[in-house]
Amino acid sequence: MTSAVEVFERDRRRMLARQRTQAAVGLAVFTVLLLVSFQRSQFFGSDIGGDPLGRMADFLQRMNPGLKPELLLEDRQTRGSLHAWFYALPIWLRAAWQTVEMAILATALGSILALGASFLTAQNLMPFAPVRFVVRRILEAIRTLPDLIMALILVAAFGVGPLAGVLTLTISTLGGLGKLFAEINEEIDPRQLEALQAAGAGPLKKIRYGVMPQVLPNYASYALIRLEGNLAGAAALGIVGAGGIGLELQRAITYTEFDTYLAILLIIIAMIFLIDLFSEAVRHRLIGLEKA
Amino acid sequence: MPRQAYDQALAIAPDALRAPWTRRARDAVLLILALAALVGMAIDLELAPGALMAGFSKLGRFLGEMVPPSTGGQSVRILKALAETFAMAFAGTVIAAVAALPLGVIGAKTVVSNAALHFAFRRFLDIFRGVPALVWALILVSAFGLGPFAGVVALALADIPNLAKLFSEALENSDPKPIEGVRSAGASPLAVMRFGLAPQFAPVATSQTLFFLEGNFRNAGVLGIVGAGGIGFELDERIRIFAFDEVAFIILLYMIAVAGLDTLSRALRNRLA
Repeated sequence: MTSAVEVFERDRRRMLARQRTQAAVGLAVFTVLLLVSFQRSQFFGSDIGGDPLGRMADFLQRMNPGLKPELLLEDRQTRGSLHAWFYALPIWLRAAWQTVEMAILATALGSILALGASFLTAQNLMPFAPVRFVVRRILEAIRTLPDLIMALILVAAFGVGPLAGVLTLTISTLGGLGKLFAEINEEIDPRQLEALQAAGAGPLKKIRYGVMPQVLPNYASYALIRLEGNLAGAAALGIVGAGGIGLELQRAITYTEFDTYLAILLIIIAMIFLIDLFSEAVRHRLIGLEKA
Repeated sequence: MPRQAYDQALAIAPDALRAPWTRRARDAVLLILALAALVGMAIDLELAPGALMAGFSKLGRFLGEMVPPSTGGQSVRILKALAETFAMAFAGTVIAAVAALPLGVIGAKTVVSNAALHFAFRRFLDIFRGVPALVWALILVSAFGLGPFAGVVALALADIPNLAKLFSEALENSDPKPIEGVRSAGASPLAVMRFGLAPQFAPVATSQTLFFLEGNFRNAGVLGIVGAGGIGFELDERIRIFAFDEVAFIILLYMIAVAGLDTLSRALRNRLA
């Protein structure tokens, strides 16, 4: 004869035991993975010596441009002046602007392609299922492939320069925005489409007057967010030869100029920061317009 | 007649069916300006149609050579590189999460309530949030030499500001009532954290960290291009010698691994949520 309390106590003990076993197994798996990972990635005791923190400190020391407060505004020849640190500023700004151009062009082209793809994958606009399936799988494949691997292949095909970078970012924007745009398309109000259908509008007119007015503000908002990401992406792509400011980073490293690297890095950070501000301002206006 | 109805409607309310011409003219001018700007940028970047065509024919040849994919008799080496890539991602994510935890606490409005300090710290994190892992990896490889160590540090550096921001938001969003409850029962500050805060914070933080692990596995695959080890190094090497059948094999293997980790991590995240 077991009382209710005993049943409760037994079940509770069982539950606690199960939770503890789960936690222990989880912890064990985690620890093993972490140890193997540290071992495989030679985190401690690689052949360049252990002491990761000491090496980090040394590395930061090498990035220090050695500015001297009393010499800040001296000319290029004086070590310790701002001019000597940012010695090729016009070239870097030009390269940074190229990176911005790459990002803008790729975002624009990618958004237009994504617009087309989104109509082909939206359940409510593309009645033909096989087309939806194929286009969706293509977009998925694009999203799984890291940008830089795509860039490596495209640089091999299109040569070193911004063309490969713009193409890479265009394709990856198509993959990312195509999915998001399709999701927006599927959430539109069907009544406006029905009204147009009743008035005898064809598929193109339906998209122009029934879909576009509903989705454009959302599209623009996503495209602007994507622009921010593409800018960081464009900066990184330059490293593998796809043009822009990344090429200058690569150059600074080839000559082991760590302080120059820091200078260019600061330009990249400023560039990303400015575009973020711009994009945020435009997005807030768009949302404001939507409400009005 | 629809046409007649349209004309009638236009006569009654001219602005209802069609925007006024001033607005349409403005829209047209803006559109033309935007297109002109894009064309100008393309010219400035020297994007020539000839180069585009030549590139596509080359790309077509590369894609043709990718079938059928081949291991080139080096499957063991490739699998080792894949394991190394995962190791970099895992170690980098764990280090980033551990380092982001205190930063996240400092960044939470509920912990540091001074508005100016909070703002300054958040902006400080924002500055570094945009820097891609590859940009870190490039300089770290130069500082620490070739190998995965630089990759681990690069991934960690790129994640710390992002995770710190998410952690502080998770802390800010945690419900104060359980914490007050535990405190009012006379618990020590440590017990308040363990029984009031941790049950709310840990699942969210773990889920976000898993999400970053997925991203890092993708990023780690490319760090090898700048010499930070792993699968990217093997890929870069084979693209340089135009061994595209082996490139195709590595890419396929890697994409399957990425999809596998994503599925596993999503399953874990769903259990946490």
